[in-house]
Amino acid sequence: MKERRTIELPGLEGLVLSGARPILAVILALVVSAGLIWAAGANPIEAYAALLEGSFGSVAALANTGVRAAPLLLGGFAVGLGFKAGLWNIGGEGQIYLGATVATAVGLIPLPVPAWVHLLLAVMAGFAGGLLWALVPAYLRAYRGVNEVCTTLMLNYVAGYFVSWLLHEPSPLAEKGAFFPMSPPILPSARLPILVKGTSLHAGLILAVVLGVVLHFLLRYTPFGFRTRMVGENPEAARYAGVGVARQIFLVLLVCGGLGGLAGAGEVLGLKLRLFDFFAGGVGYEGLALAMLANGNPLGMIVAGVFFGSLKAGAGKMQIVTGIEASMALVIQALTVLFVIAIGFGERVRLTRQQKKKSRAEEGVASGHELHQ
Amino acid sequence: MDQSADIALRMVGITKRFPGVLANNNIMLEVRVGEVHGLLGENGAGKTTLMNVLYGLHQPDSGRIYIRGKEVRITSPRVAVDLGIGMVHQHFMLADNLSALENVILGIPPKRPPLLDLDSARARFKELANEYGLGLDPSTPVWQLPVGDRQWLEILKLLFRDARVLILDEPTSVLAPSQAARLFKSIRRLADKSRSIVFISHKLREMKEVADRVTVLRDGHVVGTVDPGETSPTELAQMMVGRNVFLDRRPRPPSESKQAVLVVDGLSCQDDRGVPALRDLSLTVHAGEIVGVAGVGGNGQRELAECIAGLRRPTEGTIRINEKLITGVTRDPSLLGYIPEDRRKTGLVADFTVEENLIIKTFDNPPFTRRGILQWSEIGDRAKTLIQDYDIRTPTPAIPLRHLSGGNQQRVVIARELNAKPALLVASQPTRGLDVASVEAVHNILLQERNRGAAVLFISTELPEVLTVSDRILVFFRGEIMGELNAETADVNLIGEMMLGHRERTKQAV
Repeated sequence: MKERRTIELPGLEGLVLSGARPILAVILALVVSAGLIWAAGANPIEAYAALLEGSFGSVAALANTGVRAAPLLLGGFAVGLGFKAGLWNIGGEGQIYLGATVATAVGLIPLPVPAWVHLLLAVMAGFAGGLLWALVPAYLRAYRGVNEVCTTLMLNYVAGYFVSWLLHEPSPLAEKGAFFPMSPPILPSARLPILVKGTSLHAGLILAVVLGVVLHFLLRYTPFGFRTRMVGENPEAARYAGVGVARQIFLVLLVCGGLGGLAGAGEVLGLKLRLFDFFAGGVGYEGLALAMLANGNPLGMIVAGVFFGSLKAGAGKMQIVTGIEASMALVIQALTVLFVIAIGFGERVRLTRQQKKKSRAEEGVASGHELHQ
Repeated sequence: MDQSADIALRMVGITKRFPGVLANNNIMLEVRVGEVHGLLGENGAGKTTLMNVLYGLHQPDSGRIYIRGKEVRITSPRVAVDLGIGMVHQHFMLADNLSALENVILGIPPKRPPLLDLDSARARFKELANEYGLGLDPSTPVWQLPVGDRQWLEILKLLFRDARVLILDEPTSVLAPSQAARLFKSIRRLADKSRSIVFISHKLREMKEVADRVTVLRDGHVVGTVDPGETSPTELAQMMVGRNVFLDRRPRPPSESKQAVLVVDGLSCQDDRGVPALRDLSLTVHAGEIVGVAGVGGNGQRELAECIAGLRRPTEGTIRINEKLITGVTRDPSLLGYIPEDRRKTGLVADFTVEENLIIKTFDNPPFTRRGILQWSEIGDRAKTLIQDYDIRTPTPAIPLRHLSGGNQQRVVIARELNAKPALLVASQPTRGLDVASVEAVHNILLQERNRGAAVLFISTELPEVLTVSDRILVFFRGEIMGELNAETADVNLIGEMMLGHRERTKQAV
C-alpha cells in the first residue's frame, strides 16, 4: 500500500520518481531482510548496526567498503552503459576474467619504461582484454541480430575455464609449483597505488569514480552519447534520423566489454596482485544488479555501488556480532533489485494504461475529422 | 422480409460513438445463411468498428444483434466464438513456434485435461483439409508455412470451432493473385456448406468475383446493400466515396517553376513481408507544387515515402532529389524534410525531451556540437526559437516529449523538418490523429512551403484533404499509379474508381 501511494504522487512524475524508485526499493529490501534476520533468531537492529559499523564505522571499514565498491562499480558500468543503448551485457564476469588476464600478462613483463607508464599499459591492456572478449557477441548482435544475452552469458563460462587453463602449468602465466592455480605476482611497477596506508584501498576506486563521471559526461554531452541514448530509446527513430544503429550497438557493446575488462584489471593490479583461478566469484553478475538498481545512470551507480560495497564490507562484522551469515548481504542486494523491478513494472503498467487512453482518444479525433467533413 | 431461419446474422441500428466521433451510425447489416457478404468502404468508414462490435471487442452504444433469429449480447470474443462467430484478422494471430495442429487447438479446452486430444484433433484436421482441398500438414511448424497457408490455417481454426459466421478482414492483402483465386473458390465452397462469410475489402474486382451481396459503408453509415452483379463499378465507387466533398480548395498563387525537384524513375520495392509494394513507379514533383497521393491505405504509399527518405532499399529504379541520387538516409535538412506516417514510432523519441527531439537529425553538427561536445545552451536556444515559431505548446523545452498532446508532437516534427527550408517535403499522413485546429494548421504549413518554392509530396488516405490541398493528384493502387489528375478539375468519383483499381475509364478520361 505504502509503495503504491508513493508512486502515484500526482504531478511529481519523471525526475522525482526516477530517484525515488531505488531509494524506496532499498528501504523495502531492508525491511524484508529485517524480517529474515529476525526469523533467523537475531535482533535486526543490532544486525544493521553491526553492518553499518563494519562498513562506515572506522577508517579500515570505510577502506573495505571502497575496496568492495571498486569492481562492482566498473562491472556495473559495463552493464549500465549497455542499458542506455537498450542492450543487456550479461558478460561482465567473462570480460572481468579476460581483462584481468591481459592486464596480468602485461603486468608480469618487466618493461623498460617508468612505473606509471607500465601501470597505464596494464590498465589499458585490461580494457582491451574485455573489449576483445565482447567482440564476437557485439558483432553477432549488431550485424546478425543474435541476442546478446545468450552470447555474453555463455561466454562467461568459456572465459572462466579458459583463464583457469591459462593458470595451470605449463602455461607461461602459471606460477611454477604453486599449490593453487595462480599467476606469479604482478610486478610492483604495474600495481595500482594504495590510497590509505595500512589498508588495501587502492586507486581502482578512483578509477571507477572518475569513469562514472566520464560516462555521465559521455552520455549527456557528446554526440556518441546522444546516439547511444537514441538507439536505446527508439532504434526506429534513430534509423530515421540517420544514425547507423548497428554500428552504434557494436561500438557500445565493445566499450561495455572494455569496462568489464577494467573491473578485472583493477582487481588484479590493485587488490589480488596475482591472477587467481576463478577469482571474480560473481562480481560481474552483481554489476548487473547494480546497473538495474540505478537504471544504468552512471552517477546513480556510484551511489548504489557504495551501498552494495558497504553491504559486502559490513557483512563480516554482522556475522561476528549476531551470527547471521555474511551471505545476508547478497540477499539484501537481490531483494533491492527485485523491488526495483517490481516498482518499475508497476509504473510501466500504469504508463501503458495512460498511453492507451490517450491514443484511443486521439484515434477518435482522427476519424472524427473525416466524419465532420 | 426473409424468414429468420435464413438469416444467419442481423445487426440492427448499431451505433458506436468514440470521444468526438460517430464511428457507426445506426447501421443495419443482414447476412444470410450460405451467403458471402461483402463489406466495402474507405479507411475509417466504420468497417472495422462494426466487425469489432460483432466480435465482442467493442460494446455498441445502442442497437441489437441477432444470431439465427435470437437476440444476443456479445460481451467478449469468447462469447462470439461460442455463438459461432469467427474472425480472421488482417495480421495473423498464430504462434510461430507451434505446429499447424497445435495452433488450431490452441485455446480449445481439452476433454480430459490436462492432456491434449492431439490424435482426434489430427484426424479432424486432415478431414477438414481434405474437404477443402488443402495440402496442409498438421505437424509443420507455422514459421515454415507460406503466407497463403497461414491464412488457411486461420480459417481452419474457425472451422474447428464450427464457426457459422466467418469474418475475413482484407484476406487478399497478403496473397498473390493465384492464391487469391484459390481462396475465393474455397470461400464459395464454405458458403455452399451453408456457412456465412463477411468479406471485408476495398477492392471492387474481388467483390464482383466472390460476394453475393455488398453493403457499402461511408462515414459510419450504410449507403446501401446491392448485388454486385447488377451494379457497375462506377456506381459502387460513387457509393463509397461520393460524399458531397467540400471542395473548399485553398486559394493559392499560380506557380511558374518547371524545375523538377523529386524525380522517381522506375522504382520497385518490397514491403516488410517481402511482397512487392511498388511496381516500376515513376513520378516527378516540381518546385512550388503540392502533389497529392490518394489511395486506400496499404497500396504502396508508405513504402514510397520510406524509399525517398532512404529508409527502405528499392529493388529497382532510382530516386533523385535536386539531381542528388538517394542511396541512404539523407542527413542534409535543406534537401529533404520528411514527416513520417507514424510519428510516435519513427519520427520522435518519446522519452527524449522536446529540445532533444528538435535536433535528432542535426545534433552532431555545429552549432549543436562543437569540438565533439554537445552545446546544450545552443540546443536550448534553438528549441526556444522553434517553439515560438511553430507555436509548440510546452511548459519548457526540457520536458519529455511524451507529455505533449498529439498535435504538439506533430508540431515538433514539422518544426524540425521544415526549419532548414528543404527543397523537398514528403509528408506522409501528417494530419492523422490530429484535432481539427491542428489539421488546419498542418494544411496551412504545407501551402506555405509550396508558396516558398518547395516541392511537396503529400500522402494521405483522406481523399477530401488531398483534394483541398494538392495541385496535382496521383492515385495509387497496388503500388502503381492509376492516373494523374489536376486537383482543380478532378472528378471525385473518377478518383474513387481509380482508388479501387479501375483504369479503363481513366484512360479515356485523361
